[in-house]
Amino acid sequence: MTTTCTAEDLRHINRSVDDIREELGVDPVSVRAISDPAIYELEREKIFSKTWLKVATIWELPHAGDYKVKELPVADASVLIVRGKDGRIRAFHNVCTHRGNKVVPSSGFETFGRSRANVVTCRFHGWVFSTDGPLRSVPMKEKFGKLDTACLGLREIHCDSWEGFVFIHFDPEPAQTLTDYLGDFGRLFGGYPYAESTTAFRYSTVLNCNWKVAHYAFSEGYHVPTIHAGSLPGFKGVEHGDFKLMGPHASSTIYGAGMDTAPSTLAFASMLSTTERHRPRPDQLPPAINPERRADFQFELPNLFPNFIIHLASGCGYPGMSFFTHQFWPLDHGRTLWEGINYFRPAQNAAEQVAQQHVNALHRNAWLEDTATMEDTFAGIMSGSIDAMQLMDQEFLIRHAARTLDTYLAA
Amino acid sequence: MTDPILPAPFVDLAPLAAHWARPSENERSEIRWSASAADFRALYEAMMPRLDAILRLLSEHPASGMPEDVHNLFLLACAFAEASPHHELYGGSSAVPFSFDARRFVRMDGDAAL
Repeated sequence: MTTTCTAEDLRHINRSVDDIREELGVDPVSVRAISDPAIYELEREKIFSKTWLKVATIWELPHAGDYKVKELPVADASVLIVRGKDGRIRAFHNVCTHRGNKVVPSSGFETFGRSRANVVTCRFHGWVFSTDGPLRSVPMKEKFGKLDTACLGLREIHCDSWEGFVFIHFDPEPAQTLTDYLGDFGRLFGGYPYAESTTAFRYSTVLNCNWKVAHYAFSEGYHVPTIHAGSLPGFKGVEHGDFKLMGPHASSTIYGAGMDTAPSTLAFASMLSTTERHRPRPDQLPPAINPERRADFQFELPNLFPNFIIHLASGCGYPGMSFFTHQFWPLDHGRTLWEGINYFRPAQNAAEQVAQQHVNALHRNAWLEDTATMEDTFAGIMSGSIDAMQLMDQEFLIRHAARTLDTYLAA
Repeated sequence: MTDPILPAPFVDLAPLAAHWARPSENERSEIRWSASAADFRALYEAMMPRLDAILRLLSEHPASGMPEDVHNLFLLACAFAEASPHHELYGGSSAVPFSFDARRFVRMDGDAAL
């Protein structure tokens, strides 16, 4: 569903620096939520079981029978996300209702596949389920003294999508619909043609740190001139502003005059920036993002609570890049699966594809600089030598996320 | 191993293609991680002056289904696209300076061949 709002409609989400200081405070923020393993157990119960979590995009599963298995240790769950014959995407526990075996075998944290016959079959005893859930056949069914097959479909998980991003909710009765949960975030980011950007460069790594250390490292622009001195040399005039608060979610904008562009980057970028399909498209940004349509807009930097970031660039930041996302999945208190994905519109020829490889490599390398800090930061916090994080104005997303976390944990 | 075939204007790049051009990102990364500053410089000095001509030729071909000689040039260009920052920005280092171990990054889509 697309609900686009004007900048005026969303004026109530805007905050000045003074507003932010007044609303969120200026005091240091305790690191206990990061260091205490008991908090992690609470997070599993009160956050990851009580919020909408992005698990897929609709364009990953374009055809009936396309599926994705996502392993989510934070919920002790293997989740099957599948497009049914009716075109609808549903989510199920990837668990056979016979005796609990995994229905679709998976390897690693994500497994993609397609069921051509629109059924999935458990490899243990051959129970067959339709991709829309019901149990369709059971070998030697007559040998069960009692078997209510009508009640033995795959166990469904609440699933809904917004702008092509597929979310699930583990609570059997979610307190809010996805639309209500996203609230003003959905209105702020809605209306961009995300689904056109089907070319994805997808990376993951397992980090030995609490998930919030990784999340917070990607939640501010303060680090850019220091940590990215290598891959973003001479990044000029970084301005992190347009602060916005939207219930559990928040956002902000990175403006900047760009960087010293290397000769090869200039050549590759020109393959993209001169085409209608890949050029900077500030005009396609939702109206309340970069409302003045400033030419030095780089990207929007939000936090969709609890663990998802959509950096909306519309080709204005990294050449040709439509948007990029980060997600942070706790594996346990001190281990995190990070997923970073760069999205482009499909290349129309081989030269554009090479150019996208270059832009992707530059950005992947910047992520290598980002991820370099995370395990050290967690080790530092776990040493017990600091009690709190000192947060400046541009780190308000961290301050807001920490406060939102506390609110959920206290509920 | 015989050098890969390349379109006529670029046949002299065949030895570089034999070394650098590979269809998957993981394979290209392995080669890049073992490259020296001199390797990066040699690739850069051969490719950079011809990059516009290479991209012009590649722009006449679809992103998939290229003839073999063009596809080899395309894979060499992909390798250069990923290697050029090491010469231009990282002082010839095969690793991004002050970075996380690149070997721990996983291509989530199984690293399909181009």
